[in-house]
Amino acid sequence: MANRSIQSTGAYLPLLRFERKAARAELAWSGLGGNGKGRRAVAGWDEDALTQAVEAAREALAQAQGAIARVVFASTSSAFSDRSQAVIMADALNIARDAETADLANCRRSAVSALLRALRGAPGTELIAAGERRLSQPGSAAHLSWGDGAAAAVVGDGPGLARLLGAGRVNLDLLDSYTSVARGLPYAAEERFSRDSMVSEALIPAAQAALAEAGLRGEDVALAVVPEAVSGLYAAAARKLGMTAPNVIDRLAPEAGELGTAAPLFGLALALEQAEPGQIVLLAGCGNGCDVLVLEVTAKIRNRPAHQALDEGVPLTSYSRLLSLTGGIELDWGPRAEVNQKVSASVLARHGREMHGFVGGRDQGGNVQFPKTPMPVNPALAEPGVYEDVILRDEPARVVSITADRLNFTPDPPFYFGLVQFENGARVVMEHCDVEGQAQQVGAPLRMRFRIKAIDRQRQFRSYFWKAAPLARPQLAAKE
Amino acid sequence: MAQGIRDKAVILGMGCTRFGERWDMNSDMLMAEAFEEALADAGIARDQIGAAWLGSALDDVNVGNSAIPLATALRLPPMPVTRVENMCATGTEALRAATYAVASGAVDIALALGVEKLKDTGFGGLPIRTKGSVNDLWMPYGSAPGTFAQLAGAYAARHGIDAADLKRAMAHVSWKSHQNGVHAEKAHLRKAVTMETILNAPMVADPLGLYDCCGVSDGAAAAIICTPEIARSLSKDALVSVKSVQVCASNGWEMQYGEWDGSYVRNTRIAAGRAYDEAGITPADLGLTEVHDCFSITELVTMEDLGLSQDGRAVFDVLDGAFDATGRLPSQVDGGLKCFGHPVGASGLRMAYEVYTQLKGRAGARQLANIDFGLTHNLGGQPSNSVAAVSVLGRLE
Repeated sequence: MANRSIQSTGAYLPLLRFERKAARAELAWSGLGGNGKGRRAVAGWDEDALTQAVEAAREALAQAQGAIARVVFASTSSAFSDRSQAVIMADALNIARDAETADLANCRRSAVSALLRALRGAPGTELIAAGERRLSQPGSAAHLSWGDGAAAAVVGDGPGLARLLGAGRVNLDLLDSYTSVARGLPYAAEERFSRDSMVSEALIPAAQAALAEAGLRGEDVALAVVPEAVSGLYAAAARKLGMTAPNVIDRLAPEAGELGTAAPLFGLALALEQAEPGQIVLLAGCGNGCDVLVLEVTAKIRNRPAHQALDEGVPLTSYSRLLSLTGGIELDWGPRAEVNQKVSASVLARHGREMHGFVGGRDQGGNVQFPKTPMPVNPALAEPGVYEDVILRDEPARVVSITADRLNFTPDPPFYFGLVQFENGARVVMEHCDVEGQAQQVGAPLRMRFRIKAIDRQRQFRSYFWKAAPLARPQLAAKE
Repeated sequence: MAQGIRDKAVILGMGCTRFGERWDMNSDMLMAEAFEEALADAGIARDQIGAAWLGSALDDVNVGNSAIPLATALRLPPMPVTRVENMCATGTEALRAATYAVASGAVDIALALGVEKLKDTGFGGLPIRTKGSVNDLWMPYGSAPGTFAQLAGAYAARHGIDAADLKRAMAHVSWKSHQNGVHAEKAHLRKAVTMETILNAPMVADPLGLYDCCGVSDGAAAAIICTPEIARSLSKDALVSVKSVQVCASNGWEMQYGEWDGSYVRNTRIAAGRAYDEAGITPADLGLTEVHDCFSITELVTMEDLGLSQDGRAVFDVLDGAFDATGRLPSQVDGGLKCFGHPVGASGLRMAYEVYTQLKGRAGARQLANIDFGLTHNLGGQPSNSVAAVSVLGRLE
């Protein structure tokens, strides 16, 4: 345990941030519009728990060393109950095929539980990534207070950003909110009951145990990461624990929403990005009980991807578009939406890893192409291709041509696509994403994002591929 | 060096249905209508035909696979009948096959017939098709206007053309075709449209508005091809010869290799150069063109690809009226795809029909004077992954 540490963290939020005041205005007649304060992050139609987790994992891996031995994916909103998302994530990140993988589900604190296991676990570098795109019923508090997003942490051997000093846990089948398979949407208990029960029966005893193991007291904590499924959770617990540290979630929740399984890791990333070495961070994961970790910060981070994720985005002010993106309404997109998008299992088995991993090939003349083909596209070569694998996801790229297509079906028009030129020579016709709020011109720089390629609505299957996004996102105006 | 086909085959007769939303007709009826006109024009009996080629592109929504639909619809006597498909170049492919058969001496009289029945899909625009089970894993499903719209930005970027100038030139392309379409009895759209309407139309795929796009329609066109000797033996005069037919298909260079800048269509340039050579003419010899104006930007860029405008100058030539019916080289004098719509398999032969009609002096109100050669051009697929077809028709020397 002593030589294990958190090596890096990553965080990701979707581009769109719904202005809650728009819901308050739209739902004024019903009284169900909430307090109208702040924003919630809204996943694009082509984002789910997995794609967001992959993006967060990329941030974390970019700052970590060493081959990944274990991959953990955690979510309560995984699109599949029997198709490992961790395996797809490993492929998307080109992690070795014999890496250990695990999918954690059904519990909002599972990513924190996984982090604790990793910090106390066997040697080797472990990636833990959590993502959420939770559906909820329009009019419910969750529909406006929850957000979509992801976060990740890499745990490894030797010194890193933070080390574990102590941990505590309480398991408690508390129905603050539950989602059944049959209903598919959350059902919440009265908030006052949930807060009081969670604080007194789980959070406080778990935190006390963690602090005791660390040999620390509440006032020693410099930063708290306590996600609040119901508001006031931390304030109530802090009073009893003697903690005066700020809760970094106080920024996350109003600007992006309650991120479920991803919230604690996102908060951890926020905390580590602002902490100084030697400071103590208390990290709580709550959901049917609590896992609390007391961590000592051991290094200062230069990058601030979690803060950047909060600072950048595009405001969304259309309540009906929010409903469409969150499954609250099903618009009739007409016959063009009836296109059959069935994916063949054998085709996926043959080509899926190179698609998910965005693996192209460098031919014997040095040209890079995607996908590989029996005969290279390079006009200088006349022999069947022999290729060296080249991963394109982090390769700089630019727009050759692009349009906003309003005829083609997409669940969130328009449909952007065009030719993309990678600096290493590869050229790929790609769908674009996250274009909103920016004018995409010929020559504009791009970055790649892992996204849903297509949803087979008839069979409720989805395929994944990479899309091109503007290199940078617009800055959000300061919160109101 | 191949000899080519120049003047080895002539058009004995042609037919073309009225294009449009033919709710009254299925594909068999469309084929029969075009064929009966061609047969009457040729002045022969159907059992004199030695072989036939059917062009239809979208088998899954209308005509059906194989050549049997043609043989059945026309009740052709037992003979070789073949279906060809090469996206928007399909009609010209049927013409090429029939011409090659006659030019080679294998067949005395051959039929080329293109047909498409699209309006039974139940929605506007072309059907959405799979790109193949592997490509579907990664390749975007762009619409036709989406794929061709990309030419506009790349063209403007390469030549430093102001977006507003390009938009106005594109609008002129459509304005001109609608002007011409008024005089085309078989066209789908026969009303003139103002520049203001065109420029203010709803956007379909940036920067293509509604009037920058051709519609989808139903239609069929047919050509009966024979040797010059047979035509003369039938006492035909003012014979129209197939001077050349050239096709060029992408091998992935544009879409997968990093050289092409997206501002032009290489296949059109290659096919056009070969077609001029095979016909023994230069662009200056042309009296009219029927080009693939699926979208206004396509026609504009095609003017350069065919060598009819200098690179970067098409915008200005178009705005100067160079390709208007009264200009130096009328293009789409029948209104083009813009007014006929685009029943994919039929369009290439519909273009040939107009050139043939003009060369025969039968074009009525839209008849051009003093023409010896006309060119047809198709562009299938998308600029980044295309099939281009160019043919030259002219008076038999």
